[in-house]
Amino acid sequence: MRFFKETNIQFIKFSKTAIILSSVFLLISLVSIFLIRGFNLGIDFTGGTLVQVQFEKETTTGEIRNALASVNLQNSVIQKSTGTNEYMIRVAQMNDENDVPTLVTQGLKKINDSGFEIRKTEKVGPKIGQELRRNTIYAIVFAILVIGVYISIRFQFRFAIGAVVALIHDVLFTLGIFSLAHLEISLSTIAAFLTIVGYSLNDTIVLYDRVREDMKIMRFDPIEAIINKSINQTLSRTIITSLTTFFVVFVLIFASGEVRVFAIAMMIGVVVGTYSSIYVAGPVVIAWQNKFNAKKN
Amino acid sequence: MFKKTNIRFIIIGLALLLAGYSLFWTIAYNTFSEEKLEAMRTDGTIDQFEARTIRLGLDLQGGMHVVLELNIPRLVETLASNKTPQFDALLEKCTKEHRESGEDFFTIFRRNVDVEDFKLVRHFNDRGYKNSEIIASLQDESKDAMQRALQIIRNRVDQFGVSEPTIQKAGQNRIIVELAGIKDIEHARNLIQSTALLEFTLLKDPQVTQSFISSVDNYLKTGHGDIVKEETAEEDTTVALKESKDKAVSVNELLGISETDAEMESSDNDTSLVVDEELFAEKPFSSLMRNVHNSIGVPEKNVYAVKKILANPEVQKLLPYDSKFLWSAKPERVTTNDGKTENYYLLYHLEREAGIQGKYITKATATIGGAQTKASGQPIVNISMNNEGAKIFSRLTGSNIGKFLAIILDDKIYMAPRLSVKIPNGSAYIEGLESMEEAKNLAIVLRAGALPAPVDIMEERTIGPSLGRDSINTSAKVGLIGFLLVIAFMAFYYKGAGLLADLAVLLNFIFVMAILATLGATLSLPGIAGLILTVGIAVDANVLIFERIREELERGKTVRAAIDAGYNRAFRTILDANVTTMLTALILMQFGTGPVRGFGVTLFWGILCSMFTAIFVTRTIFNFRTDRKILKTLSI
Repeated sequence: MRFFKETNIQFIKFSKTAIILSSVFLLISLVSIFLIRGFNLGIDFTGGTLVQVQFEKETTTGEIRNALASVNLQNSVIQKSTGTNEYMIRVAQMNDENDVPTLVTQGLKKINDSGFEIRKTEKVGPKIGQELRRNTIYAIVFAILVIGVYISIRFQFRFAIGAVVALIHDVLFTLGIFSLAHLEISLSTIAAFLTIVGYSLNDTIVLYDRVREDMKIMRFDPIEAIINKSINQTLSRTIITSLTTFFVVFVLIFASGEVRVFAIAMMIGVVVGTYSSIYVAGPVVIAWQNKFNAKKN
Repeated sequence: MFKKTNIRFIIIGLALLLAGYSLFWTIAYNTFSEEKLEAMRTDGTIDQFEARTIRLGLDLQGGMHVVLELNIPRLVETLASNKTPQFDALLEKCTKEHRESGEDFFTIFRRNVDVEDFKLVRHFNDRGYKNSEIIASLQDESKDAMQRALQIIRNRVDQFGVSEPTIQKAGQNRIIVELAGIKDIEHARNLIQSTALLEFTLLKDPQVTQSFISSVDNYLKTGHGDIVKEETAEEDTTVALKESKDKAVSVNELLGISETDAEMESSDNDTSLVVDEELFAEKPFSSLMRNVHNSIGVPEKNVYAVKKILANPEVQKLLPYDSKFLWSAKPERVTTNDGKTENYYLLYHLEREAGIQGKYITKATATIGGAQTKASGQPIVNISMNNEGAKIFSRLTGSNIGKFLAIILDDKIYMAPRLSVKIPNGSAYIEGLESMEEAKNLAIVLRAGALPAPVDIMEERTIGPSLGRDSINTSAKVGLIGFLLVIAFMAFYYKGAGLLADLAVLLNFIFVMAILATLGATLSLPGIAGLILTVGIAVDANVLIFERIREELERGKTVRAAIDAGYNRAFRTILDANVTTMLTALILMQFGTGPVRGFGVTLFWGILCSMFTAIFVTRTIFNFRTDRKILKTLSI
């Protein structure tokens, strides 16, 4: 069985449209991140306390807030996990004198003496939060740099530029969606971002590898034609791999908690990664080549 | 060619054998019943399983993760004398800067002292005159405090009541404590943060100890009689049966004669209880012990059994009221007469009341004994006490010359030196230490009780056991569905070759688990996510290969040539793609903490294994088929 036999789609033709589309979305992302919504950072990065409670009976956010008011924690962020009777209660401070989870337990007893179970508590000090934020930025920047160096060695410098631009595009894109949708960014989301980096790169490298091979065969063709051909040649692999990965990641969405957020990030990543390896990684190499040639002439 | 394929099969077979061996322990461990596990704990064979089993992360089995930090500003404040408002202001400023920038406290302190031209000598005694000297001395002090804090927490390990607690130093002044499966979080938190208790307590006379041990032997012997009675008279009333059964359990396990143990003993003598068979019946308790340097030594494997007997309420009744038993903090390696080297824990019988509290100690330093003393040239530990302590110590030593005084930190005994003279002025030294290293460690213990190291909880995460169970259930379910979907798709899309890829994915899973078991790694929720992602990557390698083979076939190549070309061309792509992903995984392992790290670990090894399974294994099977006959068509 085959989905595609030899295709000859003119991908590069649409690259101008794609670049405009990407630019517009990245602009929206940046505006959202820096000017309007910012990030919904989890306590891993801000410091604070999180308590996960499961109730036996249906309970509303209002009831919980009232109960928490008795211990002066009415300003907590209370979030229901979809499809369950479970709530996440987030408190800004991590108070050493009064253990916050103990306070929350005390407060919740107002609703029902024993009809709930504390499933998870997390307390993160502000100093740790700050450090994690710093380390995470290091990790992402460092990862992109190392990958750039590797591609420069294995391919050519302009390919490295293309891959790095594609990576930054993907990360910004995903961050933009997280900012717009106000999804929480936690440690496992960061792991997901780095996986997106790896995944999108996979696609890009498969393409570049083919371009490297085709450049030897189609020595006198313009770079646009070579890249377009390579995209078509690898298209069937790209679709199948994206599809299988999508299966796995899609199923993960039905898991709970951190894994779910991870899966959402990965879903976005698979789609954006596939798109960017065709419409960002390719065109950047073309643009670089054209500029370079123009100078030489 | 045929031979080459054979060699490839042998390599695959060997890899599978190795994987099977390293997974055996995990599988066996998880199939044992709770009774069997308890039996293994008693006869000391459980360690070899626990060391080789894939452990579940805190997020999967529930537990507590705590990050502690030494509060250096507070330590400096405690060490300072004649505090002036200026000094307080300086300290506050440095503390604030330290908290905001995360820069090393002493670097900030030094800078501010220089800027304000502060004279530190006014506030710190015995630490030199120059600011730089004083700061260096304070830095040493903070390192020492860190050692003390670690020592105290390690010392309390078995009080946490979990099987394998992790206590590790992280960076300059942090300690990470991980307690899997812990129930009483409040208790654990108190244990971590409370100050250490140092005591000096006299040992009981050996005669008293001897008579207690004999009486326990006698008690257990009668207990053993009960079992025999139960076996012969099965028609006893239920109440009586229940009673005798309780006793039967403890004695049985102690003697190592339950059914499972008997099996163990015959198959593997080294791991069974270290007991003299003949002494069994006669002295069921004392036969578990040995004489080690004239103290009671208990081989490591027997410790659990001895503890169990001592905790028995009936045995407790036999114990003289004014006494208690405590264990040495560390095992001692001893070679017995028959040439066997083993770890022994020393068991001490002591007075119930402490002779003197450790809080009176003002100083404890490791040094080399002076020329004119008895311990000349040997490592010793000097102790000084304050006036109040000196008085108590003088009385204690005066009336107990010749007796042994145990040094106890948090109910663990570090040493029990003999009192040789009366010590009137509170300044004593301890001799008989084997090395300078040992002397230094003892000095840390002695200071731990006197100078508390202020530690703060920076991070604390607890996961209830029910959440862990739910996580395992959902992730296993979800993982399985994803796995099956991919497998079905591959078989559907690539037919025969697709099944081959499925086999590769399955093998990949086995190999990754085997590597995790060998590394003694922990499997956490993000680790499972990494594993699932690995499935995707392993499949991708095969997709790349198969697409290429199809392409080559379309160009009119023969099956054999198409396979060769497909693998060769695709290999480069796979290598480049995988190396970059592995680089990302390595960075995650390096920068990531806890959960993120676990993800990096499984991803890294998963990709590495996938190169073997998706390329080497599938190629071998293709080769095997083309070797035997020339294939006209390929199921791909």
